[in-house]
Amino acid sequence: MNLKLKALTKSIWVFHVSAGSCNNCDIEILDLFTPRHDVERFGIQLIGSVRHADALLITGAMNRKSVPRMKKIYEQAPKPCLVVAVGQCALSRHMFRDSYNVDRPLDEILPVDLYVPGCPPKPEAIISGIVKLVQKIREKK
Amino acid sequence: MDMRDRLKESLKEKITAWQEHSARRIYFSVDKKDIFKTIECLVKKLGLRFSTATGIDTPAGFELLYHFSFDKAGEFYSLRVLLEDKTHPEIDSIAPLFPGAEWIEREIWEMLGINFKNHPNLKKLLLADDWPEGNYPLRQK
Amino acid sequence: MIALFNYLIFPGFLFSACAGLMACWLDRKVSARLQWRRGPAWHQNFTDILKLLGKENILPVQAGRTFMASPYLGLLSVALVATILGRSIISPLESFAGDLIVVLYLLLIPAVALILGASSSRNPLAAVGASREMKQVLSYELPFILAIITVIIKAGGTIQLGEILNRQINFGSHIFSASGLIAFLVALICIQAKIGIGPFDASEADQELMAGVLIEYSGTLLALFKLTKAILLYCLPLFLIILFLGKDISPLFLTLKYLGILIVLILVKNTNPRLRIDQVMKFFWGPVTLLAVIAVGLALVGR
Repeated sequence: MNLKLKALTKSIWVFHVSAGSCNNCDIEILDLFTPRHDVERFGIQLIGSVRHADALLITGAMNRKSVPRMKKIYEQAPKPCLVVAVGQCALSRHMFRDSYNVDRPLDEILPVDLYVPGCPPKPEAIISGIVKLVQKIREKK
Repeated sequence: MDMRDRLKESLKEKITAWQEHSARRIYFSVDKKDIFKTIECLVKKLGLRFSTATGIDTPAGFELLYHFSFDKAGEFYSLRVLLEDKTHPEIDSIAPLFPGAEWIEREIWEMLGINFKNHPNLKKLLLADDWPEGNYPLRQK
Repeated sequence: MIALFNYLIFPGFLFSACAGLMACWLDRKVSARLQWRRGPAWHQNFTDILKLLGKENILPVQAGRTFMASPYLGLLSVALVATILGRSIISPLESFAGDLIVVLYLLLIPAVALILGASSSRNPLAAVGASREMKQVLSYELPFILAIITVIIKAGGTIQLGEILNRQINFGSHIFSASGLIAFLVALICIQAKIGIGPFDASEADQELMAGVLIEYSGTLLALFKLTKAILLYCLPLFLIILFLGKDISPLFLTLKYLGILIVLILVKNTNPRLRIDQVMKFFWGPVTLLAVIAVGLALVGR
């Protein structure tokens, strides 16, 4: 168990899902893989299929149409899978909390492991969040 | 003869108001019964390109704006229609003229409740499948 | 007993897996450096495989036994190829007549396993990936075999790996002749398509097809496919060295030649965009086959 989780923290394959975001947070996530903040040195890779995913990066406020689809995507990812909410819209719906189409925040639908605040969060903030998540998993054993 | 003069020449008495917001941004109003003939003339005879359509709920009634672009000179013409009857708003659909108007009219219908007569496929576009009928979110309460 | 040791440990499965994973790491590190990044640590690929072994194994509802069996198919055959190639380098006199043909047949199986696995997962995106892989196999097999026929002609008609090596040790490497050089270039292009890297990875396209052929695989089965690709990355340049550069195969020069070919493959991968599948077919059936036929012709004349 210890070795399995330790290997998971050293090689995280992320799958990026946008639940109706404005795409700013998506651009910041893409920035993580550019030469300035290269996260591939931590073993993090962006992969194409949700069945290869270790972490789901979810951006955007969840509207009514994307709730059943998001649940389906979460079920398709093989466990153990981490869920990371990136950006203020994914955390608490931000300015859309009184909207007609957005009624529940993300963590009432999926179990979220890491919250990265910001609109959009700086890449340094996302990296710092990943480091804290990795430490939390290693201490939990 | 530039496009403004050609427009006024072709539409003559149908134009009820004319406002030049700036050198390239022109708003003019027509009555709702002339809408099909007007847009047919704009698109087929004068060669303007349909850009999009917008709708808003004002105290005077539902105001629909159809935006057209004249690419050669970089000018933008907006056609304003006012629907005074707020209980049963309806207007002719321009989807038979060109298929690009189909989806935007569906969206205006589902958000504001304006019925487009002769529309081939008037059903929900953006709202969730279980959204209650008759609940038009963008109307003023 | 010795055969089992050869197959499982050295130079078979374990050794080739470790060498292949290190070659994959070198690929990622050099690509990162070319893009002014830092790149992963040396143990990254091993950690990836270890992590995949610990994940949940999801099987599609309608997938049959082919879904679970095809990764093993590819892995076992490519480990056998590594064994045969390793043994023929260590002791060239113990190879058997016809082992070149055996290696050629075995090298076809990983692509077939990929197509079988993708088709049995009953996913339309995987079906598109499988059809692309099939078209690619049909394109690159002919020039590859023509290049090997060049080597057979130059080595005097023998189809034994050990004798090809011996001839090169006595008479000089095959690459230092006109037909050998052209055949080497053709074979270099063909192994890029065989491994599935460089501009020829249309079947496993990440962005377009959501990982194409491997879309439904997860956990252990995915780890086996990744291992197959890693061992192929180790075996195929080794195969080329035996056929074309076999004059001096002491461990030092062998490693240097292998690294040279690997660096060429990495550079080509980083400087070229992915080709569409119809471009791949036109490329292999056009210029590459033509070059291979020229090489065979030159070899028959004696150059």
